[in-house]
Amino acid sequence: MKLYRLYAFSLRHLYPLKRDFDLLSDMIYWPIIDVLLWGITSRWLGEASGLTAIIATILTGLILWNVIWRSQSEISRNLIDEIWNNNLVNLFSTPLTLAEWITGVLVLSVGKTIFTISLLTPIVLLLYSVNIFMIGWWLIPFFVGAVMTGWWVGFISAGIVIRYGPKVQTVVWTLPGILLPFSVVYFPLAMLPTFLHPISYLIPTTYIFESMRQLLLNGFVDPPLIVLSFALNIIYLILALAWFRASFRASLSLGLGRFN
Amino acid sequence: MHRIIHLSLHFLYTIPIMNAITVDKLQKIYPPERKGGQLFTAVNKISFTLHEGEILGLLGPNGAGKSTTISMLLGVLTPTTGTIRYGKLDFSRHRSEILQNVTFASTYISMPWRLTVMENLTVYGMMYGLSRAEFVRRAKKFLGFFDVWSQRNKMTRQLSAGQVTRVMLAKAFIPHPKVVLLDEPTASLDPDIAHEVRRFVLEQQRAYQTSIIYTSHNMDEVTEVCDRVVFLRRGKIIAMDTPDNLAASISTARVRLQVKDGLKRTHRFARERGMEAKLEGREIEIVIDEHEIASFLNQLAKENISYTQISIAKPTLEDYFLSQSD
Repeated sequence: MKLYRLYAFSLRHLYPLKRDFDLLSDMIYWPIIDVLLWGITSRWLGEASGLTAIIATILTGLILWNVIWRSQSEISRNLIDEIWNNNLVNLFSTPLTLAEWITGVLVLSVGKTIFTISLLTPIVLLLYSVNIFMIGWWLIPFFVGAVMTGWWVGFISAGIVIRYGPKVQTVVWTLPGILLPFSVVYFPLAMLPTFLHPISYLIPTTYIFESMRQLLLNGFVDPPLIVLSFALNIIYLILALAWFRASFRASLSLGLGRFN
Repeated sequence: MHRIIHLSLHFLYTIPIMNAITVDKLQKIYPPERKGGQLFTAVNKISFTLHEGEILGLLGPNGAGKSTTISMLLGVLTPTTGTIRYGKLDFSRHRSEILQNVTFASTYISMPWRLTVMENLTVYGMMYGLSRAEFVRRAKKFLGFFDVWSQRNKMTRQLSAGQVTRVMLAKAFIPHPKVVLLDEPTASLDPDIAHEVRRFVLEQQRAYQTSIIYTSHNMDEVTEVCDRVVFLRRGKIIAMDTPDNLAASISTARVRLQVKDGLKRTHRFARERGMEAKLEGREIEIVIDEHEIASFLNQLAKENISYTQISIAKPTLEDYFLSQSD
């Protein structure tokens, strides 16, 4: 692992931020639109139901969802960007190793996620008086768990894209989307049809969002659920990395030049 | 004194030629999903070497296996069987270490279009561990040589195809690599720029003992630049020699006559003897076996056909290429 190669790889994906509206809109525009939309909606729901805490649960859920979305996007989106730019052969004919590429996208993923969250947190505080730091130290495991989920989702979709090519690129956006209802981001698990519960139990973020709501509404967290969430995240991350590595090897046997 | 000179010469003669690349029984069979549902052998157990400081041409018609071979040499395509060694290192085991000294440029591969030329080159320069100051110095030198220094702050998408090719060449040589793979580096260039590129490649080879693999469809270019040529057809090596020796293996020559009287008779006369003949104004070009030229000219004289000019072109690498292509 060479730091100068990680630095070079980071430059590759940081330079376009100076001028690329597509990337900036992903990092800034859409998260802010989400916050405005869900802020107003949750305020209305809170006033209509008399349950004012609903505003905090929905907006904190939204911020944690953005953590998942941003952290997966940096993995799969970066890969698809290299394919769109015919740059895979350039990149992997340098000394850059696959482990360095993986480390590079993880570093970028954390950096850009922190940037987006740093932007959303004061907006939520100023416009809707919701301070996500009221969660306290639990915010750390919630954040780390959400990032880990984003990573394994990102590696699964990146593995599909590198193996089957840009014809299946829609998976970069649709695969994380399917987590949204099953992770019970905005509503309690009890609201999900019972026959779908087994699917939700298999998703680590279900325990994070349920715990977050438990904390905001009732003031406590059930630690074993967080442990279970981490255990699932670790297992899925290991499996997703193995899948991505196998897919990359399969892609090498077909040739990275086939995307040009 | 005599003994010292003798020993020195003996030493020179016994210096082994070091191989920059050794390819041994390299084979690539594409899986069915890549080539229309069936297995496809793109490269069939080829073996060759690239000597240190040598320029080796990789030639062959479309589909011969040139690009597949280069992709395997770059590590972006896994061989089915066979080995590639750079120096003494096995490529499959020391990929990153080896690629630290290997670069490539291709007319058919661009760079990220949302980055400026300098940003793109910075990424690649840093990838090889160059310091910022050294990178800028080399970038200025190479972009200047290729007359694209003034384009350095432009987005890559704003460049012409020829300018992108020149930037790719700068990218390949900025790290001062030991081995460079050039895939048709002059294909999209104007003749004067292509000439500059050839001059540049030869200078780099001499200055840094760079070993180069060079593919091109321009046979004159290959003859000018390459020390040796590997000729591929349908994934197999069918010849490996110097460009001159390959050309010399062709026994046909091109005889061009400016006929004063009897142009059509000459054309008919040649065709009747199974020779390829082509009329161009008052001139005729006849493809003929070198050994038959004298008797052919004698026969023309007997037919009272007179000509005012004659030129005989020796076989070229292009003739060899045409003779071996499908």
